[in-house]
Amino acid sequence: MGEVFTAAVLVAVVASAIRLAVPLLLASLGETFGQRSGVLNLGVDGIMLLGAFAGYYAVLKTGNVWLGLLAGAIVGLFLGLASSFIAVTLKAEQGISGIGVYLFGLGMSDLLFQKLVGTPIPINTFPKVDIPILSDIPYLGPMFFQHSTVVYLAFAAIPVSTFIINRTTFGMNIRAVGEYPEAADTLGVSVAGTRWAAETIGGTLAGIAGGVLAISLGIFQQNLTNGAGFIAIALVYFGAFTPLGIMWGALLFGAINALVLELKTLEIIPRDLSNLAAMAPAIITILALAVVARRIRAPAALTKPFTRGH
Amino acid sequence: MTDRSSPILEMKGITKRFPGVLANDNVDFDVYPGEVHTLLGENGAGKSTLVKILYGLYPADEGEVLIDGEVVSLDSPTDAIEHGVGMIHQHFMLVPTLTVAENVSLGLKSSRGALTDLKAVSERILELSNEYGLDLDPSAVVWQLSVGERQRVEIIKALYRDARLLILDEPTAVLTPQEVDQLFVTLRKLTDDGRGLIFISHKLHEVLALSTRITVLRRGAVTGQIPVEGATRESLANMMVGRAVKLTPDKLPAEPGEIALKVQDLIVMGDRGVIAVDGLNLSVRRGEILGIAGVSGNGQRELAETIAGLRQSESGTIEVAGIDVTGARPRKIRDAGLAYVPEERMREGAIGDFTVWENLLLIDYSSPEYLRSGFFKFGAIKEHSQDLVDTFDIRTPSLETSCGSLSGGNIQKVIMARELSSSPTVLVASQPTRGVDIGAAEYIHRRLIDTRNELTDAEFIHAKLIEHRNACTAILMISEDLDEIFGLSDRVAVIYEGKIMGIVDPETATREEVGLMMAGITTTNA
Amino acid sequence: MNRITKLAILIAVFALVAAACGSDSDSGSDSGGDGFRVAIVAPSASNDLAFTQSMVDAVNSLKDSGVVSEVAITDGTFVPEDGATAIRDYASDGYDLVIAHGSQYGAFLPEIAPDFPDVSFAWGTAADTYGLPNVFSYEAASDQGGRVMGIMAAALSQSDVVGIVGPIEVGDAKLYVDGFKAGVLVGKPGADVPVNYIDSFSDVALASEAATSLIGAGADVLSGTAQMVVGAITVAKADGVLWFGTQANQTSLAPEIVVASQVYHWEGILEEIVSNVKGGTLGGELYSITFANGGLVIEYNDDYPLPDDVRELGDNAVKAFEDAG
Ligand SMILES: Nc1ncnc2c1ncn2[C@@H]1O[C@H](COP(=O)(O)OP(=O)(O)OP(=O)(O)O)[C@@H](O)[C@H]1O
Ligand SMILES: [Mg+2]
Repeated sequence: MGEVFTAAVLVAVVASAIRLAVPLLLASLGETFGQRSGVLNLGVDGIMLLGAFAGYYAVLKTGNVWLGLLAGAIVGLFLGLASSFIAVTLKAEQGISGIGVYLFGLGMSDLLFQKLVGTPIPINTFPKVDIPILSDIPYLGPMFFQHSTVVYLAFAAIPVSTFIINRTTFGMNIRAVGEYPEAADTLGVSVAGTRWAAETIGGTLAGIAGGVLAISLGIFQQNLTNGAGFIAIALVYFGAFTPLGIMWGALLFGAINALVLELKTLEIIPRDLSNLAAMAPAIITILALAVVARRIRAPAALTKPFTRGH
Repeated sequence: MTDRSSPILEMKGITKRFPGVLANDNVDFDVYPGEVHTLLGENGAGKSTLVKILYGLYPADEGEVLIDGEVVSLDSPTDAIEHGVGMIHQHFMLVPTLTVAENVSLGLKSSRGALTDLKAVSERILELSNEYGLDLDPSAVVWQLSVGERQRVEIIKALYRDARLLILDEPTAVLTPQEVDQLFVTLRKLTDDGRGLIFISHKLHEVLALSTRITVLRRGAVTGQIPVEGATRESLANMMVGRAVKLTPDKLPAEPGEIALKVQDLIVMGDRGVIAVDGLNLSVRRGEILGIAGVSGNGQRELAETIAGLRQSESGTIEVAGIDVTGARPRKIRDAGLAYVPEERMREGAIGDFTVWENLLLIDYSSPEYLRSGFFKFGAIKEHSQDLVDTFDIRTPSLETSCGSLSGGNIQKVIMARELSSSPTVLVASQPTRGVDIGAAEYIHRRLIDTRNELTDAEFIHAKLIEHRNACTAILMISEDLDEIFGLSDRVAVIYEGKIMGIVDPETATREEVGLMMAGITTTNA
Repeated sequence: MNRITKLAILIAVFALVAAACGSDSDSGSDSGGDGFRVAIVAPSASNDLAFTQSMVDAVNSLKDSGVVSEVAITDGTFVPEDGATAIRDYASDGYDLVIAHGSQYGAFLPEIAPDFPDVSFAWGTAADTYGLPNVFSYEAASDQGGRVMGIMAAALSQSDVVGIVGPIEVGDAKLYVDGFKAGVLVGKPGADVPVNYIDSFSDVALASEAATSLIGAGADVLSGTAQMVVGAITVAKADGVLWFGTQANQTSLAPEIVVASQVYHWEGILEEIVSNVKGGTLGGELYSITFANGGLVIEYNDDYPLPDDVRELGDNAVKAFEDAG
């Protein structure tokens, strides 16, 4: 067994884990903003799908991956606004309206793809950018410093998000309206405004996550996300509603998948155990959630619409 | 410093309707600089509604508000804050997961633009806390603070915004006597500065001690406005309720019977993993009320919960009516004859979303009287519920009203009605009248004394074998209100750090004596 | 905002959702033929360049030749229960033949088919009619094309490592993968043929990582089956690794690296099924497309400079199957 875990395998697993983690990480970070403000958006996967299609289509038409990312972001922004309108202004039942957004994104992205594209055509993908000097470090270089720019940006988004949530007045308002909106309201903090902003950030990041996924894969297909948006929601709990926790969760999820894939390639997992191995990511995630979730308290006002005087 | 001859605030002809309720009925109210103007009234009289209108939380249906002589529109708390109005709510408006400084700075413009300026805020908080004697750590997270400390945060919040008119809606309801004294010192400093205070409380001695003027509301309308000079507890109570109120209930001497509740060497852990009840012993006889006095947080809550079977003990025994119920499930303990009125009315005593009749039925729902092969017998249930509503004077629009929308006093009556309808051998009542108005408190007190004297043992009533007093209820009453303790108890046990410091006779003991014991100091004769 | 407005907005939103979701079923108009109506229910998109497209193309060509008059398609029903609902709907709409194109729909047929004794059902890819008189089953001998292309892959590989990306180890996918692997080993007995079943038909990202992993293990030729392999093909393209496709011609995805594709032509057996139904036999038979009956075809990418000797290896292997069949 020893020679199996060669340095090359380890490098491959880590690099693959990071790639798999990035879309989850971005979507999950976005969802964190929303949830910290008290809004649960179950429609993340739908927004990701439409963001993925928009990103794919823009790159297909222009050839420019950054325009694709922008298209994903814009679609996410509008769907974030729509989700805010439904959840915050209409005060819809969040567990249900989010599913509506998901189904909308699932159906609409496929419809647009069929009408506008039809047969899948590969597009340009994000170029890999080796970070000078660092990428030359043996082992660590190929693991961490030979990725595309979006990977670096996604990881940079973690400290930025932490900073926004903990150190800015906007972040403080988000935490306040997610925990005790009545108190924030009595001090003149706009509960609806803060939630709109947080939820729209969430939508935008979900759109970006979808765009990143499609442009990284260089292709679009019906249900391209394959439920990644729902895993992103679970990761918010797993990560205890903190960007850093979410990063570890996304990496863990990516790492388990990458490891299982690598073991299959190396044919270490006996064929008849392959099904079991396939369930490993799910099982480990559920176990981790069950263990971690015991110590985590969700924002007290999560899913609760706010009306002054109640 | 301020011109004290013209009012800061004038509210004229304020009317506010909620569906089915006239919460404020053409109310006139004003506040002058440097005065404490108290609002007094029964639960549901409309006190909170009036001040919430002032704070921009509800729009008034009619009437106008003038601040410094100018008509203002108060559409949101932001408007109110801009006009120098600050409010300390009946329920704390603090975000538990934020620090003191964060809570204070919420909603304010930061000197650092988009970034928080907690350092500057903390410095100002320390300045204010020095000036007004409000001891606080700005970096502490609010959920870790005691109730008294949270209140200080609320006051600092208002002062930080330079409130000239401060509303205090039942600020003392959850404070210990010492904390109340401390609060009053601070409040007097505020009026010395020329600020105006609106004070709401059900505790008449506090009202008399603090107020300059008193306005009494009944069913939304002003029924009187008097200066504090010449007012007495009795006169205020009469104005509130509209009839003479007995503030100290009459009671006959107890005739204690056999021991019905016996607690021996009880040790219980608190939520934070430290010992809360520490080898406690007590016994209560049928036909007597044992009052447990003490500052909150000395194990009262854990003691009551353990007796009711809601918390596990580490060691020791509990007997109800001679049956060992240590560690038994709540249902079993109830079957042994225990009834329980918990401290947290809305969290443990009643289910807010359930209707009045459902709450009245919570314990008995499976009795054959109300249930036939899995289905409720609505006729019998409604009849029984209406009986209880009538006998316990529960003021509710209907049996179908959700319990959460009733006033505190009426919720407490629902709980009492439910618990007493089972004719218990032992009744454990925690803070039975906290936050409850005088009329309702009077009623609850009378009910407790009646229960002490009532025959509850059905077997006895038929067989008439034992002495009369052996058929009455034993009552363990836990309270932080010394008036209540002295007014009702036949014996007073003082609890301190989970132990009984001593048991005194309320007829002979003094408040000072009990107060010292509450602080952990034993007097020689105790 | 009042309740009516809220309601109106919500209804509008859900109408949009319904429009978006429902739009993937469309039906052609009646034209010619003797009124024979065929419906297809399939798990992926009609133009997936793979499994679903192969059947949609076949039925449409029967329509063009006038054998059937009307074609209805519900695609993208990757949730089997949704597919079952669509199958039942078509049956009760009186379609003459309902094609349940996906092995995952099979479990529902014993519940549905007996309720519609006048409707014929065709189910694939599978080799089981559940003993029902109105169910045909069909499969592709995809192992044949797998073997042919495996032999060519072995010849083209310099590293002697040929990787395969698979979905779940069942049915058509397993047949193909096993055939391809066997072919490689025939070509180069000492070759290494790692197979990576990613346990999903739809996870494109995982398929892409599986391809990366296989390339990392030294593979310079890849193949794979099911609709998620688009992710693997783009990786192969980026890394300049050769690709053999199956189920449909995948050349358009990556003209630089696709060598050849095994393509399914269901027209032949479908025509037989239709004439059976017209003749009153509504089921009970098993069909398989093979090189011999013309159902399997290897389509080469003309842009790829395939050495003649390798092409010959492939042609010979096909011929062997044709002769044997
Ligand atoms: N948001 C609301 N919706 C409907 N009715 C309300 C609302 N708020 C208060 N009420 C009703 O208005 C009346 C006045 O309530 P309010 O809270 O002002 O009483 P209060 O004098 O503060 O009582 P307490 O001493 O119990 O605090 C009550 O009948 C109450 O049930
Ligand atoms: Mg009130």
